[in-house]
Amino acid sequence: MKRYIGKRALSGLLIVILSVCFNFTLIRLAPGDPIRIMAGTDNPNEEMIETLQKKYGLDKSIPEQFVMFLGQVAQGDLGYSYISDESVVTLISDKIGPTLALSLTSVTLAVTFGTILGIYAARKNGSWFDRFVCGISYVFDATPGFWLGLMMILIFASTLKWFPTSGMVNLRANYTGFARFLDICRHLVLPVATQVLVQTPYYFRIARSSVLQVMSEDFITTFRATGMKESRIFNKYVLRNAIMPTITVLGMSLAHLLSGSVLIETVFAWPGMGRLMYNSISKRDYPVLTGIYLVTSVVICIAMILVDILYGFIDPRIRYD
Amino acid sequence: MALLEIKNVNVRYIMKDKKVHACQHVSLEIEEQDSIGIVGESGSGKSTLASAILRLLPKRITQVDGEILYNGRDLLKLSQEEMNALRWTDLATVFQKSMSALSPVHKVGSQMEDVYRVHFPNADKAEIRKRVYQLFEIVNLSDRVYELYPHELSGGMMQRVSIALALLHNPKLLVLDEATTALDVVTQSQILREIMNLEQNMNLTRIMITHDVSVVASTCKKVAVMYAGRMMESGETRDVLVNPQHPYTQGLLKSFPSFKGEKNDLRGIPGSLPDLSQEIPGCVFADRCPYTTERCRTEEPMLRSVNGKSNWKVACHRVGGGE
Amino acid sequence: MKKESLFHAILRVLKKNSQLRTGIILLIVLLLVAIFAPVLAPCDPYQLYDALVKPPGTPGHLLGTDGLGRDVLSEIIYGTRTSLMIGVIAASIAGLVGTCIGAVAGFFGGKVDRVVSEFINFFLMTPSFFLTLIVVALFGSNIIYIMIVIGLTSWTGNARLMRAQAISLKQRTFIKSAQAMGESRLSIMFRHIIPNGIFPIIAQTTMNVSGAILSEAGLSFLGLGDPNVVSWGQIIYHGKQYMPNGWWISTFAGVAVVFTVLTFFLIGDGLNRVLSPKMDANN
Repeated sequence: MKRYIGKRALSGLLIVILSVCFNFTLIRLAPGDPIRIMAGTDNPNEEMIETLQKKYGLDKSIPEQFVMFLGQVAQGDLGYSYISDESVVTLISDKIGPTLALSLTSVTLAVTFGTILGIYAARKNGSWFDRFVCGISYVFDATPGFWLGLMMILIFASTLKWFPTSGMVNLRANYTGFARFLDICRHLVLPVATQVLVQTPYYFRIARSSVLQVMSEDFITTFRATGMKESRIFNKYVLRNAIMPTITVLGMSLAHLLSGSVLIETVFAWPGMGRLMYNSISKRDYPVLTGIYLVTSVVICIAMILVDILYGFIDPRIRYD
Repeated sequence: MALLEIKNVNVRYIMKDKKVHACQHVSLEIEEQDSIGIVGESGSGKSTLASAILRLLPKRITQVDGEILYNGRDLLKLSQEEMNALRWTDLATVFQKSMSALSPVHKVGSQMEDVYRVHFPNADKAEIRKRVYQLFEIVNLSDRVYELYPHELSGGMMQRVSIALALLHNPKLLVLDEATTALDVVTQSQILREIMNLEQNMNLTRIMITHDVSVVASTCKKVAVMYAGRMMESGETRDVLVNPQHPYTQGLLKSFPSFKGEKNDLRGIPGSLPDLSQEIPGCVFADRCPYTTERCRTEEPMLRSVNGKSNWKVACHRVGGGE
Repeated sequence: MKKESLFHAILRVLKKNSQLRTGIILLIVLLLVAIFAPVLAPCDPYQLYDALVKPPGTPGHLLGTDGLGRDVLSEIIYGTRTSLMIGVIAASIAGLVGTCIGAVAGFFGGKVDRVVSEFINFFLMTPSFFLTLIVVALFGSNIIYIMIVIGLTSWTGNARLMRAQAISLKQRTFIKSAQAMGESRLSIMFRHIIPNGIFPIIAQTTMNVSGAILSEAGLSFLGLGDPNVVSWGQIIYHGKQYMPNGWWISTFAGVAVVFTVLTFFLIGDGLNRVLSPKMDANN
């Protein structure tokens, strides 16, 4: 077991290192000169360019820059924003909380709903309920989350005025304590609902097809032949076997969700990493962009390793070598 | 009275655009403590018949009629509860794919425990464990298998687990559906020997579904030969296999090497199974039979006793009824 | 003769497979719209009319006009071309890259496979849309870049499928005999492994078209679309500023995206169903 975890952690580390290299290469390959952007003018004077280059290490050779970059990353230093001059780590750590709150709430709800619906639909395979949910899931699967978000704002915020249109807190009210928590929850409803609607079909399909697949396995026939009650077979044996694929995709789907956060946070002006990313794109704030990419990769890696370990506990077929 | 009496059973698979007649007019009697081998090529309907007896065919896509009398009760007419009460205490089975016969994510012991509690819901763990260990000993498995997962066992071991599982409640009738086919010859004969020992001690009646005539020859008192969903010939093994009457049985035996070690020509039977979704007016074997006459094409032969033995039956116009 | 039987086979599959049938009908509609865009569109999508942010039903503008006075319906009709082109080309790139990488990993096995698998893992774990964003932000919003980048970040599914195919095909007799006859490994890969294992990739590629269309819409929505072409994502992006009063601008463009993505989902799912008839029997 320890070796298994060690191996997973090692491969996670490898992935982070690859991300770092990727990051570094991408920025150096990019056309356009960040110095000019930072200087805020197309024709900065020589002195200005030199100061800026020194400050960001852009005057050194590429290998030197790489070593410098690696050293910084290893110390948890992701550089400084070209624009605001703040440390990237600080910028991100301010924003990661809201993003995780949004993403984790969404993924938890989507997995729960999707799996329950999928199991139920599979049980009633071919019924009107099954057909109906399958049809709906197709449509939501094809819906871009950011557009759905706009529609939600249009209907539930602008027209019906049930929920706030955007943001995470009501800035004017200045709530504290539990009131603040409730306020955040109110702001969470629409973005979470949007995410859940577009994510649920994915888990629905996985759960439904894996239940159907397990129900056609030979061991189900064995249990039927012994006279075991269908409900017992389903609740103990089908469910336990059918839940595996859902767990496998959890880590990966977090990657998609975090990626998608840039869109959903932009729509709802949610003060998270995605929005930070959006703001940095237009300003070509490379350190922030790549910093976010790196941090997200690390978060995903950790999630993947946790999922793998969980999987190791649940599925006895995993070999720990 | 026979323990199991199959009377004129038909099984049809209902597909989207056609019906496949997997078993037609199948009749067979099985006496208590008999051991009968049902042989045939793949697609002959022998496994379908076994599933029909155990009522394990998927309801939505199959249609079964006729009578399957177990101790005089028609299994096809029992309610789900009545049938479940008979399952495993009276009728047990061992499937071909024993590697996938148990849930891969539960321990062998816990699954056997669950099956034990199907009929004895209040049994305590120690009691069940004792019974399982006893069975493990019979099928030559070590006690530690109880705590293992199916993937940790070899094919032969899983086969033994399946047999132990089938014997859990001392069933009266055991159906072995190609249960030893996937095993190597040594393991196979070892397991068959164990099963035959059990029969003598446990008052067990056995139905063996197999395509391997030699297994039947060495382990069964009786044999029934099926082809394209029809019963071709049935009777005592020493009659049918030594002096086959039906042209199909003759062909089937010729395609196996002789038991005595003589070198027969190993010719298979030319041709292939007829399309079972079509109505076949005459004998199903007519297309491949070397003796086909006009009558074989138009009139279906019925099972008839031959050679003055009531339990030796052949469905062929050539035998019994004259040409 | 052979052609006719193939045609009949296709008809038979379509008769049974309602998803594929619906998908193909929708696709034909989309293709017709894309081809005949100049005929169908009532206005020039680039022309700025005086009527700004006019609601649907305004004479001459069935779906209204946007903030610059462009006709929304015409924009959406022309956007079909952009979306289909991006979807198909990006998915083809992903198909090509994924097939080659997967085939190499599966067929060569051993160390090559381990390295490639680790690489595939990396791509699976990486937040791919972030990556696409960064690359497009760095290299500029050119439609060609966008297609290539989307293609290069979505090949992993194909690679995994092809790898599995190659591993199972490798065991088959005809590959073994080709090896015994001294055919080179590269030639076996391209002449036997890939052609025999390509079908699941085709189904996956159809799904990838959907993914690519969604990615492009997402990029455009963040203002990273190619400003020189009309695209649905950009219409939504533009319409966002006019919410909630100019709701129609974003709404209809979004409906077009859903419709198109759904089309390719249906086709992909239908193809998968042809591929594994077992699932079909369950339904």
